Amino acid sequence: MIRNNNLLERTVSYLFLIIVAVVLLMPFLYMISIALSSDKTVAENAFTILPGEFVFSNIVKILTETQVSRYFFNSLIICLSAMVGQILVSSFVAYGFARFRARGKNIVFMLLLATMMIPAEVTMIPQFLIFRELKMIDTLFPMIIPNFFGGAFNIFLLRQSIMRIPYAFDEAAIVEGASYPRIWANMILPMIKPILVAIGIFTFSWNWGWFTGPLIYLSSSTKFPLALGLYFFTETSNKGAIPPWNLIMVTSLILALPMLLVYALGQKYVYSANIGAGSTLK
Amino acid sequence: MLKVVSKVRLRENIWFWIFISPWIIGLCVFTLGPLIISIIMSFAEWDIFNPPKYIGFKNYVDLIQKDTIFIKAVKNTIFYALASNVLTMTGSLGIAYFLNKPLKGISVYRILIYLPSVIPVVAIAMLFRRVFSPNGFLNTVLGFLGIDGPVWLLNPDTVLWALAIMSLWGIGGSTILLLAGMKGIPVELYEAAQIDGANPFKTYFKITLPMLSPVIFFNMIMGLIAGLQTFGQVYIMTQGLGGPDNASMMIVLHLYNHAFKYFNMGYASGIAWILFAMIMALTLIVFKSSSMWVYYESEVKR
Repeated sequence: MIRNNNLLERTVSYLFLIIVAVVLLMPFLYMISIALSSDKTVAENAFTILPGEFVFSNIVKILTETQVSRYFFNSLIICLSAMVGQILVSSFVAYGFARFRARGKNIVFMLLLATMMIPAEVTMIPQFLIFRELKMIDTLFPMIIPNFFGGAFNIFLLRQSIMRIPYAFDEAAIVEGASYPRIWANMILPMIKPILVAIGIFTFSWNWGWFTGPLIYLSSSTKFPLALGLYFFTETSNKGAIPPWNLIMVTSLILALPMLLVYALGQKYVYSANIGAGSTLK
Repeated sequence: MLKVVSKVRLRENIWFWIFISPWIIGLCVFTLGPLIISIIMSFAEWDIFNPPKYIGFKNYVDLIQKDTIFIKAVKNTIFYALASNVLTMTGSLGIAYFLNKPLKGISVYRILIYLPSVIPVVAIAMLFRRVFSPNGFLNTVLGFLGIDGPVWLLNPDTVLWALAIMSLWGIGGSTILLLAGMKGIPVELYEAAQIDGANPFKTYFKITLPMLSPVIFFNMIMGLIAGLQTFGQVYIMTQGLGGPDNASMMIVLHLYNHAFKYFNMGYASGIAWILFAMIMALTLIVFKSSSMWVYYESEVKR
């Protein structure tokens, strides 16, 4: 009786999970199907759910006849600079919060947590005006510079993990005559490497897919990151013209691929960072 | 002795401020400063080319009393936030339940189900513009079932549902969080239920759901807040129009249009502060009411 029940349960479970997987993966197949269709299929709007054509020259076309490689490069510049800024500065600030006793520290820390609740929309317009004053509109700087002042969530996350390191390590280094910045650079950073990797991944993925910022700040197409460049593929020059859906889907896949890779490879770091944040928020 | 201590204290104080100085500067330039500018602007009329003019509460009064598009945007946004969150939460509760079973190949499956949620919104929106097109993926599938699908994105009655359905593709994120929560439920509770002869449904509704309520609750607030801030999806799906006939106009899209299309900086700032107030109110209401329906193990019910 029990065994029967178990078999039924397993069958139902597998069936359910397979259906969910199919529902989630079918659109992905559709994406590949469109990406590999011919221009004729695009013009006739006759896409099939499963790939029917395999026009791999679409990929060559993307790399040679469009600006996609340029967009890709711009995205890389933004993401890598943002990662460097967030990792270095957030950990530097977090070290200050984790290790020093100072008057007013608790209030400042509460302020840090409070800023996480402010929606970006409120500061978006004044920030635009500030960058306009600095003559940085239509450059990549507005996407890069704020990262070099740290991010509240990252600082919070890093503070937690630095506090888990016994203070005896710092004391030993101080006795040996190391300065605080040196302790941060040579001792703390290597010890919190996993969480730094996680923050690198978060920063990369946030900036890689970021749409609103580039949309507001950039106007010349040579400076577009991939996400924004992809969007402008659908803005055809004359109204009513059919956008090149096959090329759009190839570009969408190029946009998605780094994210899939980063998460597949960095899964364990992200997972442990999430759990760490979750358990400290309790 | 006392002097030495206070000297050490002073040194620590100085180093503290040195270490946090980058963030403090950023806080002033990119957060506090803009907050002040924003609230001042919301009481002014300003097109960034001519000098600003103080107009008191006119922006707010106009928004609430005259701007029918804004009212529509608020309704649409709330509808979308609720619909997408309820769909996602219900779905991920179901999936997490099955993912929690010791089945073969389950760890691979966990990664697979998470992957769609990391794809950038622009790529997803591009795909779903095709999925929802008149003879696209969804209507083809519905056609197999004998259903004549609507023109999803051009029909005022379906466009918000289309957006909500699209948000389901990111279901993996909340599923993983709920799954982590389920793993934290003590096994003894299930053993006790088994001894008492409870069926799986009863176990699910009397143990799993109540024990999971803090996680569900947290996810729900974060999801609703994110839902109120929806912008990218709508902008891309409707090419910045919020159409048809403003049926998918959202608060942030309205804000974007006023700020960066019509250059009504003051008016747009007003929208931003109303949005801020909505988010704060939501957060407060849910936090205050949480004790009524969230179960914490350490809490003693009175």
